[in-house]
Amino acid sequence: GEALLPAPQSISILSTNMKHFLTWSPVIVQGATVRYSVEFQGEYEREHANGSWIPISECSLTAATVCNLTEDIAASVAYKLRVRAELGAARSPWGTTEGFFNRVTTSLTPPLLRVLADGYHLLVELADMGPAFQFRVLYWRKGQESRVQQKVTREVSSVVHLDTMEAGAEYCVKAQTHVEAINRSSSFSPTQCVRAQGDTSVWL
Amino acid sequence: GACRVSMSMTEIRAGFTAIKANIQSRDPIRTLSILSHPHSLHKVKSSDRCCITHHLFTFYVDKVFKHCRTEDSFVNRKISSIANSFLSARRKLGQCREQNNCVCGEESTEKFKQILANYEGLNVTSAAMKSLGELDILLDWMEKSR
Repeated sequence: GEALLPAPQSISILSTNMKHFLTWSPVIVQGATVRYSVEFQGEYEREHANGSWIPISECSLTAATVCNLTEDIAASVAYKLRVRAELGAARSPWGTTEGFFNRVTTSLTPPLLRVLADGYHLLVELADMGPAFQFRVLYWRKGQESRVQQKVTREVSSVVHLDTMEAGAEYCVKAQTHVEAINRSSSFSPTQCVRAQGDTSVWL
Repeated sequence: GACRVSMSMTEIRAGFTAIKANIQSRDPIRTLSILSHPHSLHKVKSSDRCCITHHLFTFYVDKVFKHCRTEDSFVNRKISSIANSFLSARRKLGQCREQNNCVCGEESTEKFKQILANYEGLNVTSAAMKSLGELDILLDWMEKSR
């Protein structure tokens, strides 16, 4: 029965850039494949639905020791998670996360970006980080740090036009992410600078 | 005063859209509306909007979601997401009310009484499913009156 299987240990949530994963240590039974089932409980379930738990079907009877919670942790409230081991008819007790998890604590990393000079055009391309993200891009002409300009965009994986540069001048760019749902921003990316093409006019 | 509450309408709308057809298919009474009978939410005065919104969040959290459990795990998970989002938003609105920035006029009180009467006119499961199926009426009204 249940006593045969110990509850999974070292249960923790890894949350980066609004992607949330539950992980736990494997339960070892020689010569057998132990499977696991995961359930979650939001504040609503605790306070208004008799403390009910909701199974995550993608993580029911899974052999993996990680479960993607992103789709289910879809509100900025305190969640609890639990996981148990299953082997045939045997089920372990539930292992439950210590404390609560609220997505407002996700760690936000600076965006990945590529800065390009296309002739006199200053362009930037931002890597896609998911629907929750918008980007605040700061750009300035080198040496004129007091005249920083800003562009806020959600456009990803395609080139965004920032400015038309003066011939031969160098321009710098940096960016940070902003997540409206939790009202937080990442730190800035490293600054990248590019130089506009030189002046091609020839004095005759 | 004004009540500015940040809530991710995009996420709630996406969660509801994912289950809308399923939920609305469980509502056999197409001729009745909980939220729009006899008058549309759009008739509510702007000064009463905050109060009626708070009333409606309380209505959904306290009366609707708990009676919408289904045999479908995917639907239950989306309902949980929406319910927890409503709970979070209601808390913020409640804080606003405490600062007297969300005054309840006669009209919003009357409108909410009508919604409750519509709700209590049906058996609880039908009423809850219908109310959940009408969530886009509420979301449209909230986005339009932002």
